[in-house]
Amino acid sequence: MKISVNTIRDLNQQYGSAGDPAPEGVDKLVEKIGAQLGAVEEVIEIGKKYDGVVIAKVVSCEQHPNADRLHVCTIDDGGITPDVNRDENGLVQVVCGAPNVRAGVTVAWLPPGATVPSTYDSDPFVLEARELRGVVSNGMLASPKELAIGDSHEGLLLIDEDVEPGTMFADKYNLHGDTIIDMENKMFTHRPDCFGWLGVAREIAGIQGNSYKSPEWYRVDATVPAATSQELRVDVRNEIPELVPRFMALPIAGITVSPSPVWLQIELSKVGIRPINNIVDLTNYYMVLTGQPLHAYDYDKVLVQDEGADHATIVVRKPQAGERLELLNGKEIEPRSEAILIASVTKAIGLGGVMGGANTEVDANTKNIILECATFDMYSIRRTSMAHGLFSDAVTRFTKGQSPLQNKAVLAKITEDILAICNGQIAGEVIDDNHLSDEVMARNSLYPDVTVSADFVNARLGLKLSVEDMAQLLINAEFAVRIESENLTIRAPFWRTDIEIPEDIVEEIGRLYGFDKLPLELPKRTNKPASKDRPLESKAMIRDALSRAGANEVLTYSFVHGNLLDKVGQDASVAFKLSNALSPDLQYYRLSLTPNLLDKIHGNIKAGYDEVALFEIGKVHGKTEMDEGLPREMGRVGFVLAATPKVSEQKYAGAPYYQALKYLQQLLPGDEQLYTFRPLQDASFEGHVLFEQMTKPFEPNRSALVFSGSMLIGVVGEYRPAVQKALKLPKFCAGFELFLSYFEKAETAHEPYIPLPRFPKVTQDITLKVAAECTYQEVHNTMWELLGRREAEALLVTLAPLDIYQRPDDTAHKQITLRLTVASYERTLTDTEVGTLLDAAATAAHEQLGAERL
Amino acid sequence: MQFQNQKISETAELLQQRFELLENKADILKAVELRSLYAEIPTLPPEERGSFGKEINLLKQELEALVASHQEQAEALPSIDVTAPFDINVPADKRPRLLTSDNGTKHPLMVELERVLDIFYRMGFTAVESRQIDDDYHMFGALNFPEGHPARDDYDTFMTEEGLIAPAHTSTMQNRILKQHAGNLEKGEPIAAVIPGRVFRNEDLDARHEHTFHQVEGVYVDKGIHAGNLIATLKTFLQEYYSDVLGDKQLEVKTQPFYFPFTEPSFEFALSCPFCDKAGCNVCSYSGWIELLGCGMIHPNVLREGGIDPEVYTGFAWGFGIERLVMMKYGIEDIRHFESAKLDFLRQFK
Repeated sequence: MKISVNTIRDLNQQYGSAGDPAPEGVDKLVEKIGAQLGAVEEVIEIGKKYDGVVIAKVVSCEQHPNADRLHVCTIDDGGITPDVNRDENGLVQVVCGAPNVRAGVTVAWLPPGATVPSTYDSDPFVLEARELRGVVSNGMLASPKELAIGDSHEGLLLIDEDVEPGTMFADKYNLHGDTIIDMENKMFTHRPDCFGWLGVAREIAGIQGNSYKSPEWYRVDATVPAATSQELRVDVRNEIPELVPRFMALPIAGITVSPSPVWLQIELSKVGIRPINNIVDLTNYYMVLTGQPLHAYDYDKVLVQDEGADHATIVVRKPQAGERLELLNGKEIEPRSEAILIASVTKAIGLGGVMGGANTEVDANTKNIILECATFDMYSIRRTSMAHGLFSDAVTRFTKGQSPLQNKAVLAKITEDILAICNGQIAGEVIDDNHLSDEVMARNSLYPDVTVSADFVNARLGLKLSVEDMAQLLINAEFAVRIESENLTIRAPFWRTDIEIPEDIVEEIGRLYGFDKLPLELPKRTNKPASKDRPLESKAMIRDALSRAGANEVLTYSFVHGNLLDKVGQDASVAFKLSNALSPDLQYYRLSLTPNLLDKIHGNIKAGYDEVALFEIGKVHGKTEMDEGLPREMGRVGFVLAATPKVSEQKYAGAPYYQALKYLQQLLPGDEQLYTFRPLQDASFEGHVLFEQMTKPFEPNRSALVFSGSMLIGVVGEYRPAVQKALKLPKFCAGFELFLSYFEKAETAHEPYIPLPRFPKVTQDITLKVAAECTYQEVHNTMWELLGRREAEALLVTLAPLDIYQRPDDTAHKQITLRLTVASYERTLTDTEVGTLLDAAATAAHEQLGAERL
Repeated sequence: MQFQNQKISETAELLQQRFELLENKADILKAVELRSLYAEIPTLPPEERGSFGKEINLLKQELEALVASHQEQAEALPSIDVTAPFDINVPADKRPRLLTSDNGTKHPLMVELERVLDIFYRMGFTAVESRQIDDDYHMFGALNFPEGHPARDDYDTFMTEEGLIAPAHTSTMQNRILKQHAGNLEKGEPIAAVIPGRVFRNEDLDARHEHTFHQVEGVYVDKGIHAGNLIATLKTFLQEYYSDVLGDKQLEVKTQPFYFPFTEPSFEFALSCPFCDKAGCNVCSYSGWIELLGCGMIHPNVLREGGIDPEVYTGFAWGFGIERLVMMKYGIEDIRHFESAKLDFLRQFK
């Protein structure tokens, strides 16, 4: 929303509404607006553009001797411009190519040294005296476009008032020192009145503690001037009063459509609205002044839509199926079925509240018009605007919900100006199709009065204002306030649509008083400690553990492309699919973290990292996991490591699976013996769809399901060759993905402490030869059954793997060497005692596993 | 596969037999017979070309599938003992071991988030993480956004085919927090919670815009809570957050009125630039101020929807982005680095 400070000052003065809006200068005003009205997007010192532009009169105008299209003029600038060559009569010579230049016209002259206003912001063009085809031109005469007033450059801007030559252009048109303040629209989402200059002027007064008085004509009971003839009949039929609570229309005959007066063109141009013609410009002017959009239809064009009609009919209705409408912007649409259509009896003539139709456009030949001043449902306008991609100044305003109580005032005032500026006469009775309740009409306010106590307001602002202070702040912004002891009863002015509940009054008082003046005090609290969130804490723990282990935490998107799901063999039909993503890369909510991590390996290796360990903590979702209608959010931690062949051959031997396992064991809390690993190839998923999806990238015969006791907590392993190929992974690549929920459980938080024995440890190794298919875990568990858990004998036993060996000539077997360490809490053990233990264990291993002790 | 055309059917049989014998299985795709079938197409009457061509394509696809499945089998590695701590015959010096910890890093956003949470914990706030997929009720309805309200336009939300929403703000959790902690109020304790989480905006990416980013929401409700408490709470947090830059200097804060449907009054909140002491620098775009967050007093309709009587209790809420804090802190030039998983980026944050 743009306002001109000069315009506001001028309006305040013209209507006796308030004093200078910027008594302490524009900077201070901008600061004040920021603190108490809303964010200022931009401050444009528009006045500077017009420094040096002089109003001059063309005295003579002769054909240029060397150019058909140019004229050589002498102009009268009242002699005010210094340092310029003048003839004996004190006139200045200017060459001009405009078709409308002629002796006697008053124009805007850009003398040498002046900057062309339209180039001021981009690439300033400074004029000088220079020869044009052999004749010296002192500066130039300016077109509207060069003056940054609309985009017409076919001819000069002709000054349409009697102005003394030598008057500065900026002085004449109130541009001197003018500043445009552009405020963010978003702040005014609930303030339709602030989409008009009067509304902003009122707020500016209010936040400065000054009272504002709206112009006399801006009143709910304004009177539209009476008809002077009945030559144009208009019937209005509103079939959708629920969407169009008020529709006013007035026929005006005998107007002359022409360019607007220069002052009007300038007022509109300053805030970025292109002048078109006097009728359209006036509707736009009153829109930016009051926030109320208006529209003019060419009466005769409406009439010819209906064959044989003797009067114009305006029907306000919903569109019929297949109905089409060409809009003012040239676009042809089939209005959505819920749109508000303005039609004649048989043809659509406008998209209500959004844009007029091309078939009834006011043009240079228009003689008779129908002026519309209506209120349209904000939700309907918004949906129509979105559905058709149509955004207009009217849409911006109607979607904030303009008050239907201001229509009459605005219609009455614009009519007055149309008659004065465009001639014409009122040629029929005003139509006011008004569906507001009697109650609202009687009250002149949209909502019932709101009563609040001073305490209520002060408690919410932390202030100690008196009822009188509060009342004055509100009265400044034209609220009606009644004080009864400590209570205020407030009636909002008719243009306010946002005052319904006591909290609305709190906001209003706080803002007008100044939120920057609120007391800054912390809420009172006890010294009870806040409880920490276990899921967040467990994430921090995982982050610590893995980063300490040399891995890098990454974050990747929660959404993936279908191609990635395909590459890792996941089933897209289980994933939630996005229906409206702008980016084609975002198609599905991810089903697991591993695919994203795998996708990030190749790039990092290419970037020069020979060995990479990435992890991510994140959430996954799938259609099969729902909780009370919402997808269950499943926390996961994913980890992938990879090494280039060079590094992996140098550093490691054997399957990368074990490297991933190493990281997994580093991460898992508690004793290693808590965890068991079962081959993924033996897994049955039995309807655990998302878990199955999580295992899809993994190679079944080189991966394991991870269990804590009987609880499944994830998968660890290498990736299928097809996945490796598709994602350009090196051969040495493995990882895991685990359920976060496991880490959130308190009992897994720490390992049990083991008291230290006072007596020395005895260490002995044992090597068992077993069948190649026999797992390490079987051997270890069998031995542990016999050797471990000797608390009753006061022994502390550990059993650790030392070697796993397979002879090249005997691939049917392998040899597992374990190291037994035993210490007693009561005495020094002998080697023989420990040897006896091992012998017994070896015997059992032989019986149970067919193991042969070597 | 059954082929209608006899010639193709015969070729298929022939090629399948040959496949078994081939050393390089992929060579089957270069078979002369296959090529001559293709060459035959233009010689056929036009009405037969279509179905003939289709069948050749089918045959080709079948052969490709054969080659692929063979390759998968050939590449399949032998099973391993997943219960062992290391592989067979691996010498002790080549067994699995962790990378040295100097390689390890935590994500800078998460480090910052932990720091932010730590301050709020100390200020008496509990924490809970926000959802990444939610419904219209929590994202909009419970937050006093009527159906079709223009304020919804400010949120370019991702939707799933089912009409679920990728939340565009962590406020999607407000209703849950109010309901979950309403019991505090009866015990005479405030509701004080911060809600970190991922949020999403359906936008095109550039150096300053991400469709995925992180926010921290705050909610505080008790008797007698006023707008001054809100501003003081945020100021206190920021003073602590920037304590290492600020030292003894006091931060200044300012608010601008704003509009959110779920707070009233609503504010945009700015702090004096801690990096230049308001003198103007790169971080604050030479304005001396940093606009950091949106906040306000929780709208009575939102409290009511959360089962809290707005006549008795009042509260405030805010939301700010983590990316912004981290980018300002380190001078990060491109927001897209955060989700890029580039080690060049990540390993700078030791």
